[in-house]
Amino acid sequence: MFDIIFSGLSSIFRYLFILLIYLFMFGIIRLIYLDIKGIKNKEIRGNTYLKLINRKDSLPFKVDEFYSLVSNVTIGRSKNNKIIIKDPYISKKHAKIIKERNQYFIEDLNSANGTFLNSEEIMDAAILKNGDIITIGSINFLFVTEQ
Amino acid sequence: MNKEQKRIIKVLFLLSILFISLIVYLTYFELFRAEEVKNSSYNKRPANDEYVLRGSIYDRNKTLLAYSTKSNDDAQVRNYEYNNLYSHIIGYYDNIYGQSGLEKSYNSALSDSNVIDDVKNVFFQVLDNFKINEENIPLIKESQGHSLVLTIDHALQQYTKEQLGNRKGSIVVMNPKNGDILSMVNYPDFNPNDLSNNWEKISSDEENPLINRATEGLYTPGSIYKIITTTAALETEGIDTQFNCEGEINIGGFILKDQSAHGNVNLSEALIKSCNVSFGQIGVQLGQDNLNNISEKFMFNKKIPFDINTKKSIFPKNKMDKAEIGSTSIGQGKLEVTPLNMALMTSAIANNGEMMTPNLVKSVINSNGTIIEESEPKVLSTVTTSEIANNITEMMVDVVNQGTGTQAKINGINVAGKTGTAQNSGKDHVWFVAFAPAENPQIAISVLLENNGGSGGANAAPIARNIIIKALNNIQQ
Amino acid sequence: MATRKVNFKRPQNFLFFLNLLSLSLVILYNKSFDRLSVGVVVGLTLTIYISNLLLLKISSGDHYLLQIVSMMMSLGIIMIYRINPELGFTQVIWYVIGIMTFYLTYFIIKKITFWPKCMKLYIGASFLLFLLTLIFGSTIKGATNWIQIRGHTFQPVEVIKILFVFFLASYYVNRNKFENKYILSIIVYLHIGFLFIQKDLGSAMLFYMVFIVIFYVYENDRKFILINIIAAILMAILGYFAFGHVQIRVEAWLNPWSDISGNGYQITQSLFAIAEGGFLGKGIGNGYPSFIPEVQTDFIFSAICEELGILTGIAVIMLFLILIYRGIKISLEQKNQFYRIVALGITLTLGFQTFIILGGVTKLIPLTGITLPFLSYGGSSLVMSFAALGILQVASEYIYSEQEENYEQGTKEDN
Repeated sequence: MFDIIFSGLSSIFRYLFILLIYLFMFGIIRLIYLDIKGIKNKEIRGNTYLKLINRKDSLPFKVDEFYSLVSNVTIGRSKNNKIIIKDPYISKKHAKIIKERNQYFIEDLNSANGTFLNSEEIMDAAILKNGDIITIGSINFLFVTEQ
Repeated sequence: MNKEQKRIIKVLFLLSILFISLIVYLTYFELFRAEEVKNSSYNKRPANDEYVLRGSIYDRNKTLLAYSTKSNDDAQVRNYEYNNLYSHIIGYYDNIYGQSGLEKSYNSALSDSNVIDDVKNVFFQVLDNFKINEENIPLIKESQGHSLVLTIDHALQQYTKEQLGNRKGSIVVMNPKNGDILSMVNYPDFNPNDLSNNWEKISSDEENPLINRATEGLYTPGSIYKIITTTAALETEGIDTQFNCEGEINIGGFILKDQSAHGNVNLSEALIKSCNVSFGQIGVQLGQDNLNNISEKFMFNKKIPFDINTKKSIFPKNKMDKAEIGSTSIGQGKLEVTPLNMALMTSAIANNGEMMTPNLVKSVINSNGTIIEESEPKVLSTVTTSEIANNITEMMVDVVNQGTGTQAKINGINVAGKTGTAQNSGKDHVWFVAFAPAENPQIAISVLLENNGGSGGANAAPIARNIIIKALNNIQQ
Repeated sequence: MATRKVNFKRPQNFLFFLNLLSLSLVILYNKSFDRLSVGVVVGLTLTIYISNLLLLKISSGDHYLLQIVSMMMSLGIIMIYRINPELGFTQVIWYVIGIMTFYLTYFIIKKITFWPKCMKLYIGASFLLFLLTLIFGSTIKGATNWIQIRGHTFQPVEVIKILFVFFLASYYVNRNKFENKYILSIIVYLHIGFLFIQKDLGSAMLFYMVFIVIFYVYENDRKFILINIIAAILMAILGYFAFGHVQIRVEAWLNPWSDISGNGYQITQSLFAIAEGGFLGKGIGNGYPSFIPEVQTDFIFSAICEELGILTGIAVIMLFLILIYRGIKISLEQKNQFYRIVALGITLTLGFQTFIILGGVTKLIPLTGITLPFLSYGGSSLVMSFAALGILQVASEYIYSEQEENYEQGTKEDN
């Protein structure tokens, strides 16, 4: 008796298993696809950019994989920023990245939770070097400049 | 992108091809090879899911032929209602000896159940187990596999077996218009109900009762092959078919003999009298290539698609000399044919030159009786034009009316037939192929008595006659 | 995870449910709910969850590799646990050890920066291991490539695979110092020769394929590559006629049915299993995987096909393909040449190894006994596969190229 029930159960469950395995796989493929879209953006993003270090799908709000830094940009929650991130830990106007005489600087705009450069809170402004990690709210960016 | 990156991408491409070829191969294997591999007798797995009750097999009028039951210890038992009668069509299904016949080729359909059945059953099992089903509604306790409805007519099958009796040989009866096999009987046969007690004897018997002679036995056709030679003669221009038969002729150093001198004969008379002298010379004029091409249209050297395993009839591939062409064109030489192929040959002439694909399984139905798969009549090969086919039909009617096949004559019905007596290492094989009524063929038949001796006209034709009468009566009912 | 709302866009959730359902089914099948089953269910779920979570915190590189491998490990463990509960539990422990190896390798490879400079060390270590195998090796399954230490067996060739990739990478990084393609080829063919002596044909094939592809990508002398391929074909033909065991393998591949009780036994049993499974499989517990010898190691794929179906089998192949795609992408994006070649080499090793064994058990190519990475039961091979994955993880990150290293050392290590 048990055997019959078990084999029946198992025959039904096999459909579910295959479904789950394929859902998993398509989930991964979807994420990779989003990644590739990120690479395409790379071609137009120039030599200097911010790269998102967090895993994109772990964030509950929209954020791009790369942000190119061609001119001065401001980062914040409100719409009049160049880089808009709807993270509740980010202030409306949070920080600013400026280019001056081939040097990049980051400046905190009196944000509530502060801006961190390589885990240290910046007081006013700081020089950015290739490979620096910028932390804003719950997001980590890698600063990349290729010269 | 630099050179190195380009090469790396090519490497990715290579790896993708390797893996995709694996996927394609697996799919191919599953679609086309799996059935054969699964049915290997070395496969130790119990031949089906014990929990799916194997489906039943019915004849065309839903007479139950084979079914499964469960014994007290939950093991399945396969029952064959008519013992030896279907030993080569349905075959056997056994946990130790594997499967044969339709049990083998339709194994997965017979043991296949659908999802809804699965779900329903688990649900019912649980109800039963927890004693919730108080009213004790009788529920199907297990999934039932699909069932098969055959094209066989059980009454005709029984009659055919009676007619063959205990003579070694094979009879195939079919509908020439749609390819339905109406009966197919071989002797010796075996009882699939009682394999374990008899296996030793059956499998070591020199007469090979396990072989389905109709589809897997290869025999010299003798004069029935002249139907093909005639087709070739009519299809090819410039063949001289008028001969004076003096009883024997020397072709390439080999003497072809007739029972008596037939005198001046044309093609029709040659077929009626089965004149070897004429056909030998027609064959030489046609040449090997011509004979080969026509024979291949009649499915020689080709696998006949069928619901159970078939062997190919053989038209020799070696370069023949004149003598060999002569003996081949009268159905001797190295020619070898299956009785099924000869029934198809006859059907093709009956059906205006169109050979239909033979069918043994009319439909596959599920446990609710819903049809899942149904066979459709399909043309297998167009062997000749309808004019030539009708022409040959007329000649074959005369064979029965005034030639070698008079024993097959039926009052009021025109029978078209051809006799054959084939020499081989043992006593002669005797053949008779026929169809009737000639104007509107309903039945085609091939009778072979293996190493019977005598002649096709005297020994095989009366059997064909009886079966045709029975079959036509059956249809009219 | 329990408190948070389940988000079905996350592949990991599908994996979680798959494991929960299938493992409960196996427990039902075994009719026993004991320490082993708790160990497997909790161990597997926690290992997957923690290892992936930890990776998010630690590494800024690729996060898909470990997720894909989690799925492969799960399928393997479900199947092994169903075949033999004890082995299934042991495999979960091996998985934990594997994950630890993964992180350990990750940190070691990342902290130490002189990897490209130790070419001679890699060659020396490889040959030492080969010699040890020759002297102390015991013959299991017809191949003399196991070393036994106090009842534990391990295959040195698993370690040599990684050393081999490191050796090739360091050779091409330092090619301007001592480029000599002849010496390179001789060393490579010595590797393959050793494997041949041990009758480990699968690994010999694997090493050669990895070598020839890396050679194709990096060698400047294009003609020499062709010469190498031709030489290999000649050697293969020579090998076929000179060694009986090669002939046996090829014979069993071409016509396994003729010697079904002998050399063709394994492959035909595997084919029966795959054929029986069909597209949807028989369902867990409804098949007979134990009919296949070595089912939990070399033939795990056949067992998966029988009970979970060809569709799952195809999914496994596609998972490997995604893994390879990630590996190649890592190699394409890596700026540091050493890690670029290492990433390519490791990807090739995993890819070809998978192809050789999957092609073998399905009779697409001759069968040679090697394990299916991440799915097969097995200690040393699983642990070394995880080590390789750890190295790939490092390679997926942003690594300073040598020029930058000089004046910016140390800044990277803070994260």
